[in-house]
Amino acid sequence: MSQNKIGVDQWVEQYDQRVNKAKGLQGFIARTSQRLPPWGWLIVLVAVGALLPVITQNNFAIRIAGNIALMGTLALGLNVVVGYAGLLDLGFVAFYGIGAYTYAYLSSDFSGVHLPTWVSLPIIIVISALFGLVLGSPSLRLLGDYLAIVTLGFGQIFVQLMTSLTRVSLPGHERPVDLTGGPNGIINLDKLSLFGFTARTVTDHYLILLVVLAVALLVIYHLNRSRIGRAWRALREDELAAEAMGMPTRRLKLQAFAIGAAVAGFSGALFAGWQGSVFPANFDTTLLISVYAIIVLGGLGSLPGVVVGSIVMVAAPDILRDVTLAGTLFYVGVLVTLIGAIRPRWQTALLIGLVVVFGVIVRLIVGALDAQALAEPQLSNSLITNTVRSWLIIPVNATIIGNYAFGLLILMVLGVSRIKHSVWRLAALVPTLYVLIFVWETRLSQEPSVTRLLFVGVLLIVLMIYRPNGLLGQKRVEIV
Amino acid sequence: MALFELQNVSKHFGGLQVVSNLSLAVEQGEIVSLIGPNGAGKTTVLNLITGLYAPDAGKIVFDGRSIAGKDVHQITRLGIARTFQNLRLFLNMSIIENVMSAAYARTSANWFQIILRTPGFWKEEQHIRAVAEQKLAFFGERLVGYRFEQPAYSLSYANRRRLEIARALMTEPKLLLLDEPAAGMNPKETQEVTELIGKLRDELGLTIILIEHDMGVVGGISDRVIALDHGEKIAEGSFEAVATDPLVIEAYLGRNENMVRK
Repeated sequence: MSQNKIGVDQWVEQYDQRVNKAKGLQGFIARTSQRLPPWGWLIVLVAVGALLPVITQNNFAIRIAGNIALMGTLALGLNVVVGYAGLLDLGFVAFYGIGAYTYAYLSSDFSGVHLPTWVSLPIIIVISALFGLVLGSPSLRLLGDYLAIVTLGFGQIFVQLMTSLTRVSLPGHERPVDLTGGPNGIINLDKLSLFGFTARTVTDHYLILLVVLAVALLVIYHLNRSRIGRAWRALREDELAAEAMGMPTRRLKLQAFAIGAAVAGFSGALFAGWQGSVFPANFDTTLLISVYAIIVLGGLGSLPGVVVGSIVMVAAPDILRDVTLAGTLFYVGVLVTLIGAIRPRWQTALLIGLVVVFGVIVRLIVGALDAQALAEPQLSNSLITNTVRSWLIIPVNATIIGNYAFGLLILMVLGVSRIKHSVWRLAALVPTLYVLIFVWETRLSQEPSVTRLLFVGVLLIVLMIYRPNGLLGQKRVEIV
Repeated sequence: MALFELQNVSKHFGGLQVVSNLSLAVEQGEIVSLIGPNGAGKTTVLNLITGLYAPDAGKIVFDGRSIAGKDVHQITRLGIARTFQNLRLFLNMSIIENVMSAAYARTSANWFQIILRTPGFWKEEQHIRAVAEQKLAFFGERLVGYRFEQPAYSLSYANRRRLEIARALMTEPKLLLLDEPAAGMNPKETQEVTELIGKLRDELGLTIILIEHDMGVVGGISDRVIALDHGEKIAEGSFEAVATDPLVIEAYLGRNENMVRK
């Protein structure tokens, strides 16, 4: 060990040496991820993404992947506004809608205009960016929460206008004109067509969206690593100091709004082209929340975080539609959480053993008391589920008891989280886990449509507790 | 002609007159200290100079140009940089980025160049990086090497003050305004800051206006000292002259009669 230098954090200074010395798979992964340049990651992303249609012909899977790429691109735009420039813009989805509706006007029978997509896209980008400037300018004087409320208003106004501009009196027209199609939207849009290539299948759309995501990642990565990106982040950290260091904060804010809006408008156009129609309901608050969840989950300001966030947020609700898959995920999730949360490892093994014994005892007792109270378990085609169900008790009136158990479970979880002593906590976890499995098998797995949303909610809560800066976010401080 | 001049500048907040009819001139290469009790209006003067506040009356002239009413970033571009009394670093950015960000006004890469990474962009970027490293090297080994990529919040208090000065230097100022650079530092660090301020003037040719409560620092390097109280100039001259001025003593300690026991 070399001599300690005062004021030098050797742990940090020697990080590279440690990584190089690390052995085995962990060391290999650490070295590779460190040495792979950003464009290398991008190539990996595109290559893996492009392999998907080769591996599977399953349109459902490719559709999900396409949605991931689309939401990822949209979230990239928001990441510039919120993650870099620190402007809490709750009207962001309106730009997505503006892009989508502009596409509809430029490529459908509704307006009678049929521009090919490669002609209309630049127009859409410019129009969206202009709207970004227009909506950004009144917001310049507003900070933080106030900006959020004002932009939320913009977003609502957009949806309302698109819903209600159906009977507008225009000069030169005798009868009121339908500008937006109202709640029924605009349908039969042209297919996306780029330089003579027309997207028809799900795979076509997916590949376009994948390329768009990659290009957007590259553009925004470049912007971030430049004077403009540094100025945006400086603005986020301390607006006054940024201004005093020579950065024109008002112009920078408008630029952030404009580029965010341009990216959103672009992805909105692709969305409209893929869906083949646009409706005001496509651009409501649910979408806004999803996009925010993506960037917060991935880590504000982190580009890989946006990709990972959109994979989780888009894929999770869709994958969880499948009951068997959801069951597997549930048990794997519980197992991984236990392994991660409980140290030393033998305690994890002990806990699982105790839960199994606990279940067997409960089954014996209930069986001895009243054997008729037990229903025949409905077996599924999943090995895990079948094993669990033949071990668990399934009461005849499972629905009602499951509801009570759900309430009990919440109380038990709260109780366990209050116990400090490790032995008692381990002991209390045994019935808690049992009730958790009971609730899953009697109630949650029976209603996948509700469960998947619950699942996503729980996932968000757990992730935010354990990784408050998001999956790939940098640690951040507010005031020190 | 003076590099920088305040001519009869006044500023009030509501009914409170913070700066009244203040005039002062700073020559090229001078180190001028502003002293005065808390609330005397020293920081307000700095905020008026940097454009955070617009003066109610009077003229502010820098380099032969009137700068009153200009935007803060425009004034910075003209060559006035500052540090803050309560450190305002970009805490969640790396140390090198804190400094590099301040080159914004001196660089010109546009969107097109940035997105396409043209040779012009790379050249400018490498130049900024090199200059930023050079500015950080001004403070010895503390802020260099592996430190470049560390977040600013990982720095100690004294190093944060140094980083703030480096960031201000990156804007290539002619006039540097330091708001209590030695606040919260121990005697050894205070001594270092004093030497550093001298070095900034001698090696970089900067003109410096300094607000400081530590009279060791003020006496050690000031060419001229200006004392403020209630927004008015009460004394001006060498440190010795100002420190013994009865008005200054009164401002800090109160009137003599009150001190006398009955």
